[in-house]
Amino acid sequence: MTIDRNYRCMVVKPDDFDDFWEGVLTDVACVDLDPVMEKDPLRSNEDVDVYQVFFTSIDQVRISAWYSLPKNPNGKLPAMVQLPGYQSDPPIPRDWAAKGYACISVNPRGKVRSRSQFDPGYPGLLTYNIIDKNSYSYRGFYVDAWRSVDFLLSRPEVDSDRIGAVGGSQGGALATTIAAMRSEISAVSISAPYLCGYMDAIELTHTYPFHEINDYLNIYPDRRDQVAQTLAYFDGISFAEKIKCPVILNVGLQDNVVPPETGFALFNAIASEDKVLYEYDGHGHEAGRYVHDAIIDNFFETHLKGVR
Amino acid sequence: MVEKAPSGFKSFWDKIDDDLAHIPIAAEAEHIPMRSTDKYDLYGVRITSVGPYRLFGYLSIPKTDEILPAIYYVPKNGSVHEIIPQGTAVAVREHYVTFSLACRGMRNSDRPYAAMYPGQLTDGLESAESYVYRGIAADTIRGLEYMITRPEVDKDRISAWGNDNALLVAARRKQITHVITQPAYLFDTIKNSTKTTSYPLAEFSDYLRLHPERTSQVNEILDMYNLRWHAPYITAKTLVRADDSEGIYGPKVLAEMYEHIAGEVTIHESEQSSFKDGLFAEKWLTQEMLGSTATPIVPEHWQAFI
Repeated sequence: MTIDRNYRCMVVKPDDFDDFWEGVLTDVACVDLDPVMEKDPLRSNEDVDVYQVFFTSIDQVRISAWYSLPKNPNGKLPAMVQLPGYQSDPPIPRDWAAKGYACISVNPRGKVRSRSQFDPGYPGLLTYNIIDKNSYSYRGFYVDAWRSVDFLLSRPEVDSDRIGAVGGSQGGALATTIAAMRSEISAVSISAPYLCGYMDAIELTHTYPFHEINDYLNIYPDRRDQVAQTLAYFDGISFAEKIKCPVILNVGLQDNVVPPETGFALFNAIASEDKVLYEYDGHGHEAGRYVHDAIIDNFFETHLKGVR
Repeated sequence: MVEKAPSGFKSFWDKIDDDLAHIPIAAEAEHIPMRSTDKYDLYGVRITSVGPYRLFGYLSIPKTDEILPAIYYVPKNGSVHEIIPQGTAVAVREHYVTFSLACRGMRNSDRPYAAMYPGQLTDGLESAESYVYRGIAADTIRGLEYMITRPEVDKDRISAWGNDNALLVAARRKQITHVITQPAYLFDTIKNSTKTTSYPLAEFSDYLRLHPERTSQVNEILDMYNLRWHAPYITAKTLVRADDSEGIYGPKVLAEMYEHIAGEVTIHESEQSSFKDGLFAEKWLTQEMLGSTATPIVPEHWQAFI
């Protein structure tokens, strides 16, 4: 199968895209962050302190997160936002802390530990209120991820000029949007990005979780245009021209979850002039991580620690 | 020297079987139109396990009058409960009866017990009776017991697919004819948990860091679930998906377990590619369940490689 590296997704960025998200950000700006941090002795070890974190996001939904810090840091720390996949549980980011970063791993609404006020389920999250951009699941879900930056900015140990974002799959989509919407992000690593070119993806591959949309359209075929219109506001490709920081992006050419074509389309749409694409032939949704993890480490060492 | 299972092993598992035998499955199946098509139907199924505890599963049945091979996606170690695993070709549901069970604590089976991840693997580890895995093991067996009540299922072709639980259920029930497994935490658990800071094994090292005085007791409790002792009872044909040689559960480590499996074993060392590892598993399953001339059912981006 030949992959078209110049694949163009059918998504069209809505004319009022910026107005829509500006309105959302205005709404969330009125919400008190109200951060709470509780040390977790069970998950802390000799190198890393782990905290359970809670903060408030849009619609007054309380969000949980893991926050890890290296023990005995020297001065202010570079920081990382680690974004979670769709069906995996957000990891405790001890590895990033062991490398010298303050790292938050957020559980957006509906994830375990953040389910009490909003819980559309899995399957379910991808199509929850999918015909209404103002109540679609990912409106709040994205904001919850972006709100992690506000938490980091509230921390005295964090150097606000050195914040990165990293994630794979849904985490790659969230990393895309956070880099677009939060200017504090100074470098971003995007792996196998989900939630890009939705309406193409559901034709290019027939696997879950994208197939949730096909399930929905199977019983509501008349809503296809409405679905596409909503998703255009949440498509990573629509956010891409707002990304100005350094970017690395990796795709697996045999990705069975997120079609690589949509990853190429995202990369081509990213506005940053400092962007590098890594493609891994012979690899699926893990997108070559056994090799690429070291590239990610070096990327952030360069951009957040000044190591060259 | 022949290694022997710990004392009390047989009675421990006999008691679980006995507990299950005294609790009716009490299955209810409700059709889910949104996730059904003209080729297959999906049902949400509720069954009862020991406790008693009510569980939820997704049952997918092809629209045909034939009896069909079945795939039992055993409960995994994570909160999300899928219909079929992420990245699996949906067309699998046209050719197999599939059943995916959420054990206690997972989403959809989380009332009254909602597990945390990480957290689930050490819940109740204070004693063998209170340890949550006793219930999870029973749930896994109960899922198979439900599957074999289904008239659509070919009883000569039932595979268990998943983590350590696939081996556990095959050890306890001969109706499992094939296993595809990727062990992650039930083989020599404590010994291997000291080699990594990654979850799920790290749950145990976290626990013992806080409670080092319980090491011996925890070892005893976990030994009841140790795949080392279950392996000789497994007669199913088994594909073991091992980590690569650098991983915790690489082929060399797992050899001490899989060499004792009574059924025919194929070992596949990870090629550090979810594509290559997944394709190998799909080809193996197709050959075993559908025959050597059948075409593996794989996602679009893998089809050029079959």
